Amino acid sequence: MTAWSYYIATLTVYFGVNVLSGLSLNLQFGYAGVVNFGYIIFQSVGAYIAAVVVLGPSSGTFQQYVFGAHLPFGVALLLATAAGAVLSLLIGLFSLRNIRRDYQAAILLIISLIATQVVQGYVPLFNGSNGVTGIPRPLFSTLPVSLQGYQWAYAGWVLALAAIVYVLVRWLSRSPWGRALRAMRDQEDAAAALGLNVTALRLQVFVIGGAIAGLSGGLLVEYIGAWSPDAWGYAETFVIFTAIFVGGLGNYAGVVLGVLLVPILFLELPRFLPQVGYPGLMDSIEWIAIGAIWMLCLYVRPQGLFPERRNRARRPAAGPLAEPRPEQVGAV
Amino acid sequence: MGSTLVSAIGFGVVLASIIAVAAMGFTIQFGLTNVLNLSFGAVMTVAAFSAYLANEHGVGGWSGLAVGGLAGAVLTLVLGRGIFKPYARRGAHLFEMMMVTLGLSLVINYAIQAISHNNIYQFAVLPSRPFQLGSILITHTQLVIVFISAAVLVALESLLRLTKIGRALRAMAADPELARACGIRTGRIVVLTWLLSGFLCGMAGVVYIINTQSVGYTTGQLFLPLVVAAAILGGAGSPLGAVLASLIMGIVTEVVAAFGSDAYSTVAGFGILVLVLLSRPGSVRGGQSGHTQLTL
Amino acid sequence: MHVRKIRVALVACGVAACAMAVVAAAQGGRAAGGKVTVAGVIALTGSSDFEGQNQVGGLYPAIYAINQAGGVNGDQVVFKGVDTRGDPADALPAVQQMLATTSNLVAVAGPDTSSAPTIVPVLNQAKIPMMAVAGESVYDRNTAPYFWRLFPPDAANGTAMVLWAKRKGYKRVAAVFGTDSGSQGDKPGVIASLKALHIQLVANVDLTPTQPTYLSSARKVLAAHPDVIMTESDATTAGTFFGELKSLGGLVPIIGTEATFTSPWLTAVKGALGSDFLTDYTGLITAPSKPTAAVTEYRHAVTAVKGQEPKPWQSYLSNPFSITYYDGMIAVALAMVATHSNDPKVFNTAIPSVTNPGKGKKIVYTFAAGKAALAAGKHIEYVGATGLINFDKWHNSFGNQEAVKSTSSLKPVSLGVVTAQQIQAVPVKGA
Repeated sequence: MTAWSYYIATLTVYFGVNVLSGLSLNLQFGYAGVVNFGYIIFQSVGAYIAAVVVLGPSSGTFQQYVFGAHLPFGVALLLATAAGAVLSLLIGLFSLRNIRRDYQAAILLIISLIATQVVQGYVPLFNGSNGVTGIPRPLFSTLPVSLQGYQWAYAGWVLALAAIVYVLVRWLSRSPWGRALRAMRDQEDAAAALGLNVTALRLQVFVIGGAIAGLSGGLLVEYIGAWSPDAWGYAETFVIFTAIFVGGLGNYAGVVLGVLLVPILFLELPRFLPQVGYPGLMDSIEWIAIGAIWMLCLYVRPQGLFPERRNRARRPAAGPLAEPRPEQVGAV
Repeated sequence: MGSTLVSAIGFGVVLASIIAVAAMGFTIQFGLTNVLNLSFGAVMTVAAFSAYLANEHGVGGWSGLAVGGLAGAVLTLVLGRGIFKPYARRGAHLFEMMMVTLGLSLVINYAIQAISHNNIYQFAVLPSRPFQLGSILITHTQLVIVFISAAVLVALESLLRLTKIGRALRAMAADPELARACGIRTGRIVVLTWLLSGFLCGMAGVVYIINTQSVGYTTGQLFLPLVVAAAILGGAGSPLGAVLASLIMGIVTEVVAAFGSDAYSTVAGFGILVLVLLSRPGSVRGGQSGHTQLTL
Repeated sequence: MHVRKIRVALVACGVAACAMAVVAAAQGGRAAGGKVTVAGVIALTGSSDFEGQNQVGGLYPAIYAINQAGGVNGDQVVFKGVDTRGDPADALPAVQQMLATTSNLVAVAGPDTSSAPTIVPVLNQAKIPMMAVAGESVYDRNTAPYFWRLFPPDAANGTAMVLWAKRKGYKRVAAVFGTDSGSQGDKPGVIASLKALHIQLVANVDLTPTQPTYLSSARKVLAAHPDVIMTESDATTAGTFFGELKSLGGLVPIIGTEATFTSPWLTAVKGALGSDFLTDYTGLITAPSKPTAAVTEYRHAVTAVKGQEPKPWQSYLSNPFSITYYDGMIAVALAMVATHSNDPKVFNTAIPSVTNPGKGKKIVYTFAAGKAALAAGKHIEYVGATGLINFDKWHNSFGNQEAVKSTSSLKPVSLGVVTAQQIQAVPVKGA
């Protein structure tokens, strides 16, 4: 049964990390309508920074990377959070200007692809395609617990942080600032006409989301001990998007349920299917099943399991990617 | 030095032509239906495999393009009517639909992986010899690909601008409800769009494997980001825009590969495209009139 | 309304979790009773999916050979595939799920290079012996007791390529490597060996994988006038690049890493090069110094399970990775027989005792012969299809490398051998 315990502890850590991702994307997209198709790079920069600052200086032969400072893990997590925020600020400054949302989405997707190719091409940065490895587990040698106890302690730590961020984000989105975000999402021109600085608002929410993403990356990498471009392909962003969709946009309980369903259950359940056919067939079938369940969920409840509770009857029909409707613009 | 630059530009045009066929298909589809179709790559792979199979059964050479095109057209229509439309009826909007296409691309891609036994298959190479075109050393195959791309552009732009169907298509892309009110049979136009974009999608899959000479289940998936970038940044619904975006990307990529580091050539291509877009007047909000709804 | 929905969702999750448990229990129950499981922990989907095919290509024949000879200690060996997707973050829950649901697990083939740093400690902690394929130089001095590696470290393969180039009199080398993880690992060994053996590097090209064309990169190689190209990349990239290089008239001999002598790569490049492929390509692969009965037995076993093998099954007759996995699994099985135990804690340390050379040991080439010799109370030395196996104190063993060209049916034809001694004699720095 200890093997089960390890497995479930790992899933719990992943769940916590995914909750953080879901909260971040939900804030950016569900509340502010910013379509961050490059989400995964902000998680990734957090992971890389946390990894390279806790590692010692690079020996240059086995793996190459920048920094290498033997910093304690708490500092590393703070730096990871900061790295997510700083990268968001840099990218947000030029990509979040007043341009069409579909262009914005495409630009962020392309930035995600560029980031992968830069990291793969420039090996001295984060050891290229092989990635950084051998990242020590925080406090593993000092805590008086077994490996199993340690894994659960770590899972608890991740869940606690996720809970804190959950409360924080909920409080933020119910504040006047959060209402401004929703106003911007639904009726941007009206919001601007009322004196809201929409570009600044978008940048703020982008940076906050980026910080949460950086934190989630740092937490993940300190658990798995390795990080490489295979872990952050551009498609990973869509998995989180699907999770918040399945749960219901703009609804925090929905986010939690969505990440429980999509990245955890959808990806884990097919592992339990009996093996048939040639090797690899089962794994292809797993993915087919994931795609099919995914589509089924969207078919059964296109608005998510928990739609956003609103005083209006429904979201603007066009959804957040769309431009404001003409009648809304005209109403100003 | 000079000749290196000239040939890099020439190679850039070849690369752009490969991307452009797919990007034109994507932009027509996205421009009219507003489905950001992430299963486009999967359809390209299906088409590429169809051309491969046809080739194995004696339908070889350039006729593979037609085979791939037909496979793409049929599959796209089936997906459009059989999957996307029911979802739209259930109340899926732009974003939900994109998630649907993503799930669909998983299903199709991994079904191909399962059926193809996860192998790479050798696509018969068209006989081709290099020759000097000015200072550019180029092959017949590459030249034909450039011509195909140019021909598709001319045909599409003429269709859109000169024919009645084309005008109806553009009217619908601009405002489907108004178009319907004006008596345009929107259902037929949507079917036509699925067929047309699907044909180009399939053809693009075959063009891609003619150059890479092998086909595997990841063929279209890997190609997709380039296509989406060129199509959206060229302006949804504009074949000319897609071609221009492809050219910018293609030429910058090859020039950087020739003079700078190969590893960053694609990065440079993407980067320039983003910069051009950010400084492009049409990209500012309000450049698109009306609201965006799925048209299925 | 809202609360009800939450309840429904929670019930759904609960049902799903129960389903997981039930299926797991059923699997556990079915697998028990005269069976032991060998798991392949490797990428079966994702960008490194070919690694999984190489692996089962060799494991199926090994399992066949073992079961044909009556299994180990009365138990039959069964296979279970575990997909790492080439990513440590995916590999970790996959491996933990396997450990949780597979009670009769005796050994693992893998993990692969990309997930090894995360997975090796997990398997080591669970006390499961692993026959790894991780090329990282960090494992040259491995201290994990359950880790075993029959593959040469990445650098050794690069040195062998350069030694072969020197032997053929090549003076100007172009290095063409992908930026994917496998190629990135193998490139430094080539570059450092070129330096150590004073051969000129005239072009150094990195290819971003799976782009539609590499024309400018091909022209760059062409303009540098190399005598030979040293290369590794994924199959699609190689097919595109070499096809374009040929079409531009710049084809020169190619020396590939061990990873290039695999069926996707060979298929793609054969298609691109046509008849030139047969003359211009040389791969450096792990090989026995002379063909023995072990090779015959391996080929016999591959043929016997050809219906199960990934397609095309013929390619696994000579796939260097498959052969190495085969040897690794036979060695594990012989150690189990030698110790009369299916308990990894008991037989793990006995693995070198059935492979390494020693005084008075009986040399055996097959599992059946080894089992018979052990039953007769003899000490054995298993000489595998890859040749001599001699694990050092770091649990590494690597032998000679063979330069091969390929036939049109992708079979290797030996051109000559670079011995392990020759490779170790090269003073390579920084690889």
